[in-house]
Amino acid sequence: MTEIKFKLNNKNVRIEKDLTMRLLDVLRDDYGLIGVKEGCGEGECGACSVLVNGEVVSSCLMPLGNAAGKNIVTIEGFKKTKRYKVLHKAYEDEGAVQCGYCIPGMILASESLLNKNPHPTEEEIRDGLSGNLCRCTGYNMIVKAVQRASKRGEGLW
Amino acid sequence: MPNISKSIPKQDTAEKTSGEALYIGDIKFDGMLHAKTLRSTETRALIKEIKIPELPDGYHIIDYKDIPGDNYVKIIFEDMPVFAEKTVNYFGEPILLVVGEDKQVILDIVDSIEVKYETLEPHYKYTKSVINYEYEKGNADKAFINAVKTINGEYTTGYQEHIYLEPQGVIGLYEENKITILGSMQCPYYIKNAVMQVLNDDGNGVRVQQATTGGAFGGKEEFPSLMACQVAVAAAKLKRPISLIYERTEDIIATTKRHPSTIKFSAAIGPHFTVDAIRAHVSLDSGAYIGLSGVVLQRAMIAASGVYTIDNLSISGDVYETNSVPNGAFRGFGAPQMLFAIEMFMEHIAKELKQPPFEFKLKYVAKKGDATSTGGQFRDSILLKDMIHKVWDVSDYQRKTTEFSQPGSNKGIGMSLFLHGCGFTGSGEQKHIKAVVRLRKNEDDTVTVLAANTEMGQGAATTLRKIAAGILGIPIEQVIYNLPDTDLVPDSGPTVASRTIMIVGGLIARAAKELKEKWEPGVEIIVEERYKQPNFIKWDEDTLHGDAYPAYSWGVAVCEVEVDPVTFRVDLKDLWSAYDIGKAIDERIVIGQVEGGLLQGIAYGMLEVMDCKEGIIQQKNVTDYIIPTAADSINMYTYIMDNPYPLGPYGAKGAGELPLVGGAPAVAMAIENAIGKKITKIPVTPEYIMELMKND
Amino acid sequence: MVNSYIPENYKKALELLANNNLTILAGGTDLMVKTRKWSGLAPGFNGDILFVSQLEELDFIRREKGKIIIGATTTLEKLLHDENTPKLLKMAITQMASPGIRHTATLVGNVGNASPAGDSLPVLYVLNAKIVLESIVAKRILSIDEFILGPGSKDMKSDEMIREIIIDDVEFDFVMYEKAGGRKSDAISKVSFAGAFTSLHGMVHDMRIAFGAVGPTIVRMKEYEARFNETQVWDLLRMIDIVKDLYDPRIQPINDQRSTAEYRKTCALNILGKFLAEAETSAKKGDNH
Repeated sequence: MTEIKFKLNNKNVRIEKDLTMRLLDVLRDDYGLIGVKEGCGEGECGACSVLVNGEVVSSCLMPLGNAAGKNIVTIEGFKKTKRYKVLHKAYEDEGAVQCGYCIPGMILASESLLNKNPHPTEEEIRDGLSGNLCRCTGYNMIVKAVQRASKRGEGLW
Repeated sequence: MPNISKSIPKQDTAEKTSGEALYIGDIKFDGMLHAKTLRSTETRALIKEIKIPELPDGYHIIDYKDIPGDNYVKIIFEDMPVFAEKTVNYFGEPILLVVGEDKQVILDIVDSIEVKYETLEPHYKYTKSVINYEYEKGNADKAFINAVKTINGEYTTGYQEHIYLEPQGVIGLYEENKITILGSMQCPYYIKNAVMQVLNDDGNGVRVQQATTGGAFGGKEEFPSLMACQVAVAAAKLKRPISLIYERTEDIIATTKRHPSTIKFSAAIGPHFTVDAIRAHVSLDSGAYIGLSGVVLQRAMIAASGVYTIDNLSISGDVYETNSVPNGAFRGFGAPQMLFAIEMFMEHIAKELKQPPFEFKLKYVAKKGDATSTGGQFRDSILLKDMIHKVWDVSDYQRKTTEFSQPGSNKGIGMSLFLHGCGFTGSGEQKHIKAVVRLRKNEDDTVTVLAANTEMGQGAATTLRKIAAGILGIPIEQVIYNLPDTDLVPDSGPTVASRTIMIVGGLIARAAKELKEKWEPGVEIIVEERYKQPNFIKWDEDTLHGDAYPAYSWGVAVCEVEVDPVTFRVDLKDLWSAYDIGKAIDERIVIGQVEGGLLQGIAYGMLEVMDCKEGIIQQKNVTDYIIPTAADSINMYTYIMDNPYPLGPYGAKGAGELPLVGGAPAVAMAIENAIGKKITKIPVTPEYIMELMKND
Repeated sequence: MVNSYIPENYKKALELLANNNLTILAGGTDLMVKTRKWSGLAPGFNGDILFVSQLEELDFIRREKGKIIIGATTTLEKLLHDENTPKLLKMAITQMASPGIRHTATLVGNVGNASPAGDSLPVLYVLNAKIVLESIVAKRILSIDEFILGPGSKDMKSDEMIREIIIDDVEFDFVMYEKAGGRKSDAISKVSFAGAFTSLHGMVHDMRIAFGAVGPTIVRMKEYEARFNETQVWDLLRMIDIVKDLYDPRIQPINDQRSTAEYRKTCALNILGKFLAEAETSAKKGDNH
């Protein structure tokens, strides 16, 4: 067990743990952040997405040791932001949420995309979300939600 | 009455976007133990001996010997054991659970258990028929005798795995007089009945609660009952909470899937190039246990003539048992297999007769008053021709068909016509389900919808409330729906078969009407409604004759593709579709169902590959079993028709399964037209396209 | 439970490697999947771990004396947006995995994985990649085809780690990367291809072709490439069948759960034909000098 320090949802944290543990498990089990989901365990579905220094990452692939010194944000942290409110409203207005399992990850992937590219084209949105699987919606309402958020969130990203 | 179709925000969006919604994997109890399934590594064998090492304190084996009741899962055909006893019949079949606190210790125990098998001869092909059905319409034999030509076709469809984003999971809780099952599910009462059976309980000692469910699509219709029985037995024995949550790979190889099928057709062609009769035989692979396969077969067979009125039919089908993972419910339930086959067959008949397929098919499209395949009647108006015209128009179908048929074009356009019988087949509602709903007006004048139907993303929490609120004339905020708990809600039947809005919503509408009349502020009032089969439904279960369904929903889909001549990869270019589902209870929710379902159908038709080699599923993870990403999906143009059905709430019929049914034939036909080669199997992979292109 | 070492600099990393038997863990996007056990349990690593993604000294891409050097911890995402990254490599990275994976996966990790289907590998073979291996006592430079020995197998000693890779910095006249995956994005290659050439006075000067996922290692035939020299660029189209026949016996893919040998082979040769056709077209457009 080794001690590691990082920033989690804007708080400095430290934990002593086997550093090869998946960040996903540490977030869910040690910090109770159950908004980070396991959908496949192989980095394909994106349900475990978190932001690492603002970029979306599959936490089931990230060993805890790689979190050292990084700023990790889960949906629990992100939901306190203005950007989240815009994204949430856009997702709601477009009807983009069905079973919801992919959604926290999808929202964080949307944030990661808009963070780098505040006015993405449809193709860029589809590519930006290509690491987040959704089985319910067919994706179009999600894509429209990101387009809407991009328009409404003028100045935020 | 307000415009019911006008979209409103869904009830549960906020808890889902914020990550607060609790799925079964998020819920923990004090003293909760984990369970891991030890699975068969043989496809068919006798279990000679199981050597279990000495178990550390606090670790237990749960197997068939712990079952107080009988060792089977109560579902339509009762042949699936809760735990394998003397034999195993598929690779991955559950033999026992190892239960304990520490997951590593559990894994070590699982690894050290030795199962001694005596291998038996497995069968994998369509050889062992366990169910056979037949039905006739008119006089097919006579038509074949008088035919000037017979055209044959054989079509095969593959597996489809649900890949709900949330893997299967249940938790069993123990209290002195009660076992509670909490889990990801579609049918709380199916689970309750199954658990009652294994525990020898009269119903008072079993409670089932739905947790937020991350997608289901039929995969959580009957399968969770197996897991629930296992944890119920474990909880009853160990008197501790037991958690059984599947890993994705485990879920892929060991849970039910869509039945692979082979469908053989023969058409009797009359002197004026008419399709006078169709003979068909449907073969379904049920895997190791029959379960719901008989009902899937029935639905597939009933759909044998698709949207077409063919006067003479002779339809038969068999369910074949094989030593592979048991197959079960998946959105469409036999219809996707058959609609692919019949749509391609009609297309191929037209092409063989050198008739333009579009005009050819139009001649047979059903009209109101026509006899259905099973000799019932299409009693309600059918808007199919309008829908065809609409989609034909917006997709520029005619011009593109001509343009894309020019040599050198890699593009193709295809149109599928499809239908889905709403609700249970025949008298299922009346005889087996006997749905009951209640509305409870609370003292604070809110109204709680008491039904066992589950919200799994399809919007039931919102639409059922809308129906109640609309009829009561109260704001929707005053209507409450909670995820079902069998201690609190009556058995309104399973959330399957596109019945939730039409049947259960219909009962809620009637209850709301009654409640409105009895309404008294500040007072608690409970009204109850029970399902009554409409008088005109006459169905003979043995001959499969009469009205198979009370209502039908209809669809038209046009798909445009481009095939890459280098890699044979198919690029989706455009998708247009129109649906008659009676009335949209919420337009955005319906469109969400359409887009999701249609993409699932398209992917079933061209992307999702699952091979079973010697009884073992080859694509074991989401890397190898591929479903579409956002980059693979495209914008869809969707038209929802307005055609109120007199017996549905606000005129609504079934909508959940219909869109998937039309996806595969639309994309298969588009690809066929792009490459100019006959497609007879799905998924139409690049490998298959290459094969067809090479056989010049 | 295994021990984890997070050295603060590269020298410390090499020292640790010299004195311990360690598994090197960079982004984790391959190893964390391979070693996965059950949710909540630590992955099944057999020995102690050396974390390297924090080594800033290895996070770079730079041009030097006609070569491009990429450090071991440089992520795919960083390479995608860097002006020094060759176009051909960017083409491959764009089609690799998904944004989430590209944010932490490293190019060197893709090399170290030595998978026959590694998306970047055909490009690295075409760019004559050299792998710089270093231990506390020695430095070795291997060409990529010497480094990768077979599926999942590489010539690397237990006290070594990859420090950087060196690739050619060439302004090609035409480059093409193609990947046939199961779907548009986030897919394992069924077949991959990288091709590039320069021309001089209308004649092919430096032709490079590599195939991925059609054999145990990347297929590149330098002796065949030499035969293109002195060929007129506008003859390439005419040569397609001859070239296909030439490469055919070298392309020996397998059947697996993702695709068939026949498909992979046909696809590979079709892509080769497409490359030659497009090469000629681009030349005709006057893209050459």
